[in-house]
Amino acid sequence: MSTEATIVGAVSERAAADPVKQSQRVARAVIVAPVLMVLALPWISTPYLTILAIEIMIAGVFASGINLLVGTTGLVSLGQAMFLGLGGYGIGIGASVLGLPLWISVPATLALIGVLAVGIGAVCTRTRGVEFLLITLAFSQLFYGAAIKLRLTNGSDGMSGIPRPDLSFLGLNSDNPMVFYYYVLAVTVLAVAVVWRVVESPFGSVLAAIRENERRAVAMGYSVDRYKIGAFVLASIACGVAGILQAQYTYFINPDSMSWQLSGEGVLMVIIGGATAVTGPLIGAAVFVLVKQGLSVLTTEYMMFFGIFFMLVVAFFRGGIVGAVQSLFEKKS
Amino acid sequence: MQLFLTQILNGLQLSMLVFLLAVGLTLIFGLMNILNLAHGAFFTLGAYCGVAIAAATGSYWSALVMGPVLPFVVGFALQLLVLQPLAERGRSTHLDLALLTFGLLFATAGAVEWLYGSAFHAIPTPALLSGHVSLLGLSYPAYRLFIIGIGLAVAVGLNFIFDRTLIGATLRAGVDDRAMVTALGVNINVLFAVVFGLGAALAGLAGVVAAPLMSVYSQMGIAIVVETFVVVVVGGLGNLKGSFYASLIVGMTDAMSQAYLPEVEMFAVYALLIGVMIVRPQGLFGRVGRVA
Amino acid sequence: MNALEVKNLRKSFGGLEVISDLNLVVPFGQRRAVIGPNGAGKTTFFNLITGWTPPTSGDVWIEGQRAVGRPEKIARSGLSRSFQRNMFLEDLTVLENLRIACQASHPCRRVFWRSTSAFGEVLERARMSAERMNLADCLETKAKHLSYGQRRQLEVAIALCAEPKILLMDEPAAGTSPSERERLINLINELPKDLTILLVEHDMDVVFAICEVITVLSYGKVLATGTREQIQQDPVVIEAYLGCGHARG
Repeated sequence: MSTEATIVGAVSERAAADPVKQSQRVARAVIVAPVLMVLALPWISTPYLTILAIEIMIAGVFASGINLLVGTTGLVSLGQAMFLGLGGYGIGIGASVLGLPLWISVPATLALIGVLAVGIGAVCTRTRGVEFLLITLAFSQLFYGAAIKLRLTNGSDGMSGIPRPDLSFLGLNSDNPMVFYYYVLAVTVLAVAVVWRVVESPFGSVLAAIRENERRAVAMGYSVDRYKIGAFVLASIACGVAGILQAQYTYFINPDSMSWQLSGEGVLMVIIGGATAVTGPLIGAAVFVLVKQGLSVLTTEYMMFFGIFFMLVVAFFRGGIVGAVQSLFEKKS
Repeated sequence: MQLFLTQILNGLQLSMLVFLLAVGLTLIFGLMNILNLAHGAFFTLGAYCGVAIAAATGSYWSALVMGPVLPFVVGFALQLLVLQPLAERGRSTHLDLALLTFGLLFATAGAVEWLYGSAFHAIPTPALLSGHVSLLGLSYPAYRLFIIGIGLAVAVGLNFIFDRTLIGATLRAGVDDRAMVTALGVNINVLFAVVFGLGAALAGLAGVVAAPLMSVYSQMGIAIVVETFVVVVVGGLGNLKGSFYASLIVGMTDAMSQAYLPEVEMFAVYALLIGVMIVRPQGLFGRVGRVA
Repeated sequence: MNALEVKNLRKSFGGLEVISDLNLVVPFGQRRAVIGPNGAGKTTFFNLITGWTPPTSGDVWIEGQRAVGRPEKIARSGLSRSFQRNMFLEDLTVLENLRIACQASHPCRRVFWRSTSAFGEVLERARMSAERMNLADCLETKAKHLSYGQRRQLEVAIALCAEPKILLMDEPAAGTSPSERERLINLINELPKDLTILLVEHDMDVVFAICEVITVLSYGKVLATGTREQIQQDPVVIEAYLGCGHARG
């Protein structure tokens, strides 16, 4: 939990810089209360809610990765699910084909995703706008097709028996939803902190420059292609982490986790959350997972409502929830 | 050799089917700068209309004529009432519009599933075309030849409209300079909506035409639209002639890989696309010369 | 060795030769203007020496080094440009615009594991460049909310962040009001004297206020180079340009 402490520390440091003491106290309460709630959630809620929270966090990691591309760099990809799938297949193949333990297969999977993302990113970033969207889509369809066709991935049946981490040295069993919750929480906090760091770094500000005005970034002397590939790689690794968590959560991976629709869902979460903020993807993921859950209770026609929901968000809610709240505050002040 | 010839014809038939979709997508992108990800929805819509009309009238031919009507109306309304106003309000860039149509693609597939269920449907092949034709020593289904004929007819027809008629000239001018066409006194919004509707109708036509061959189900449009995207990118976004040649390339690649390399069937066309993007990011037939 | 040397530069688009056999030498510290009637090829010339358009033939030498390659490479080699139309990181503040511009020549630009706040010297340079162009009061304003005159100042300030040896300005005063223009001229004239400036400008008042040497371009060729007086008395120039320029001004 030390990473979490760092985040809280960083935020309260920021609040301390605020001249008004009252707002400092409010800010601290705003930060501390949710943190306590998140930490205590498995103890104070139902198992159903714990499972929902796990799903939200996994979706949040996925959306954070996509946001690094879509929100920070301004590159709209419709293919990030390929890295989600690669993450799951990586540890799946590692466990069931190669017989590797997770402490080898997880870093190896992420490294492989990184290397692949360099190549794929190098091709995709030669284009921009809708062409970028189409080529990322094509790449994901390529992997989707491969996952269905290859014997290694067990075709469209997918692979089951994906291992969860062995926490017996702590006397814990990660098959227990509560234990798994804290595992996912730790990974999520780490992943989001890394993404946050990247966005706030000098590298991240170049990505923002590319989003705002690519020609200007070039004129400033930046080799924008390299930065775009860098963003693509980091985003893809984050999506891979989400894929590993997802596969461990369901003990299962199949080609559907690389589907076009899943990539779209990730983009939708980013849009809901408001593309520019770090907290946006997490909020977007929460809203999305809850709405999806709600819909599945009400109707079996998930796809239709997903589509309608998607259209409405894009048409009327472009700044996302965070954006809407921000503009509300801007109007007031 | 027999197999090879059959696959060439199959490839040609698939090419023409994809071309019917790609040409509308290209037209819409070239003219309005909108990447219509929902194009596959019109394919589905056309196919289901065809199924319903064929079931009601018992005639394939009335399905062929009436099937594309609903896609036209929906496409026309979508452009005039949704996409155009959003673009004008400056709320959405062309990327946002692409994402909006992405939602529409899934909404349509979901709605069709809701109305018709997830069962498979089909239109029976019309009696006139149900036989086989002997061609170059092959016995080839007449209906597939009919599809090739329709595709070629549309290609020739569009080519004529574009190169020889006033409407075509206006459209070509619109691609180059939208303001210019407005200055000519053409109601550009309605013109755009008509073109959008026409593109949708061609996709719907493809849906009806495909119905006797492929199974009609709610997600059929999602499956084929990605292949169409490959065509429009390989052909160069917005390039009409390019989309015809690219349809041939993609259709042939698909048919040949199905016959000779079934392991790569699912992703041969994507590998093709990626190869093209590495060599020529602007597409094989695209215009060169965009400064970074 | 000169600050900038352009040798036998040619550029044709299709069959149209926009720049034909252009030669130009700018010594260190000189303030040089490039003028010419519309369509003389000024903007193309600018794009050629900054790497935005590849030349058909000929080369550009910056401080005795042959400048080839993509615009970002040329920008890093000491030749910085401002744009005619504003090109900002619109949604970011003035300070962020300048900080990111300064960061381009700092080794930290590829660092993704540390916060920007760890590199105070970059921020300090950004503040200094803001002060130099009289933007210290609006550091926290988003670029899109600046007044027109401030936008022109920011445009030059961003170009200066790279600490260039040669500054190319593409109509820096375009569209400004008389008072904004005067402020801009003063700010440019206060820049260090060893900075070589190449200016493309329509407004002859701005040209005369900033530059000592003027090159007249017409149909992609150098028509004449000289001081204000020499240019004004050159019959070829009067024929091609100044005649109508005066009538307009």
